[in-house]
Amino acid sequence: MKKTALLFLLFSVFLGCATANLPPVTSQDFYWEEDERRLWLRSEEEEAAINKSGLIYEDPELEAYLNEVARKLQPADILDKIPFSVKVIKNPMLNAFAFPNGAVYVHTGILAKMDNEAQLATLLAHEMTHATHRHTVEQVRNIKNMTAFLAVVQVSLGGLGGGVGDLATLLGSIGTVAAVTGYSKEKETEADMVGLALVVKAGYDPRESPKLFLHLKEFLEEEDIEEPFFFGTHPRLQERIDNYEAFIRKGGPGYQGGIKGQERFIQKTSHLICLNACLDLKAGRFGFAEKGVKKYVGIKPDDPEAYYLLGEICRQRGEEGDIEKAKEHYHKAIAFASDYPEPHKGLGLIHYRQGEKELSKKHFQTYLSLDPQAYDALYVQEFLKHCSE
Amino acid sequence: MRRILLICLVLTLGCAAWIPAKGVYKAQSLNFSIEQPEGWMRQGTTEYVLLTKDGVLLQNIVIRRLDIDEPLKNTKKKVQKSMLPFEIAEVIVDDISSDQTVLNLEVVENVPVNVKGIPGFRLAYKHNNDDGLKIKSIIYGFLSDKWLYLINYNAAQRHYFDRDIDTFEGVFNSFKLL
Repeated sequence: MKKTALLFLLFSVFLGCATANLPPVTSQDFYWEEDERRLWLRSEEEEAAINKSGLIYEDPELEAYLNEVARKLQPADILDKIPFSVKVIKNPMLNAFAFPNGAVYVHTGILAKMDNEAQLATLLAHEMTHATHRHTVEQVRNIKNMTAFLAVVQVSLGGLGGGVGDLATLLGSIGTVAAVTGYSKEKETEADMVGLALVVKAGYDPRESPKLFLHLKEFLEEEDIEEPFFFGTHPRLQERIDNYEAFIRKGGPGYQGGIKGQERFIQKTSHLICLNACLDLKAGRFGFAEKGVKKYVGIKPDDPEAYYLLGEICRQRGEEGDIEKAKEHYHKAIAFASDYPEPHKGLGLIHYRQGEKELSKKHFQTYLSLDPQAYDALYVQEFLKHCSE
Repeated sequence: MRRILLICLVLTLGCAAWIPAKGVYKAQSLNFSIEQPEGWMRQGTTEYVLLTKDGVLLQNIVIRRLDIDEPLKNTKKKVQKSMLPFEIAEVIVDDISSDQTVLNLEVVENVPVNVKGIPGFRLAYKHNNDDGLKIKSIIYGFLSDKWLYLINYNAAQRHYFDRDIDTFEGVFNSFKLL
């Protein structure tokens, strides 16, 4: 709590009084203001930097699908004013953000945890509303000194771990406002509610919408991240879920059904689920990694990489019973692909630790025969030497 | 307002001076000594010793001692005393690859080494930094009691890495626990 209070104090130093609300781009009174044009140019520069940074998850088919869903949510005249485009960022944190020029970025972390297209539509509609309702320009107008603001964001969020402070360095100033610090409670609520109306209008089932925030809540709880910073979690998540549910109840029959779009969504995101599980494993989030791989196994039950990953999760976590489970998973991976080197290394390590030199030797030798140029070949040769002693 | 910011930053970051490097340097609080490369500059804190010749963005040698009970910066995985050096190297690779500013990481080599009689590892890897610069790095690591020592060389792949690699290996070979 103390940390949250300190962060509030620091941010409030750099934020001025609230500016007047701008009419959304859908309004008759709408016109682009001068500072907004500059913000667009800056957004384009930051967008270009992100796109060539190596952060982007390159999957043209998935990208086309995400953009197709995004286009379903907005009428053509809005798309003429803001040419929305969606890209995916390789990052296991649950987040998404939009630049004012319509560049929307969705993290692999949040996509991997969604269940269907209706949840995806909820997220995209929310982020697109930040752009159509010009939230970033209003927020940036409130920041008196952008350089000082960014310095404080990087220093204060660095303590959250998972590279949150570092992410602010990469995203640039507009990206940081959109992705890291989020918007006021009013703006987030507006994006939720306008977004929900777009979801319904596009024919999606709005009852799926609050479930997106349940995934977010589960993640925050497991990560022990305090609200309200990051993920634009003003207002607090439970309040947000309650708002959605109340809105759906009031919405009448039109809000009680619609497209879920599970099959297509799962088909398009399956590889991403596996990749994100790898990222979660590297970050030491064993629980999320395991859930991710199991979800992937449900989609592709004969992919050896999935069983190898399950083996790695169990071996590295090393809790009671994990080592035996790891062995089973590695063997299953080998059963699906006998020429797959990595499970042999995993088995070699386990047997080496258990003092079973002959078994260890057998698997390490297989590993090296399948991948003689492996980056850790010298290490494995050292293990083999010890096994022969 | 600027004063508030300055105070915040100074309190958070501290301020360590750059000193010309020459001769043997004993980092008492970190319990090691090294032979410093002449013509380089040194900055030391209670957490690390940093050396550079042309600026930290172009090349740096950083020697850190981490308490294995403390969390790593980017991964929740922990280094444990019972781990093989190979397994420690895996954790370090995962910590590096979970760093948001390390892009397109490629581990080139993970080999066993002996650091003054203690089994350890040598990792070589490449990545792009957040400015898009191609960086090559080497990390020697080993465990001594509850301390993980990491002797790390990072340099721009173009020109600097090859030019200063021998200097780095010289610093590594001179490394001694006190």
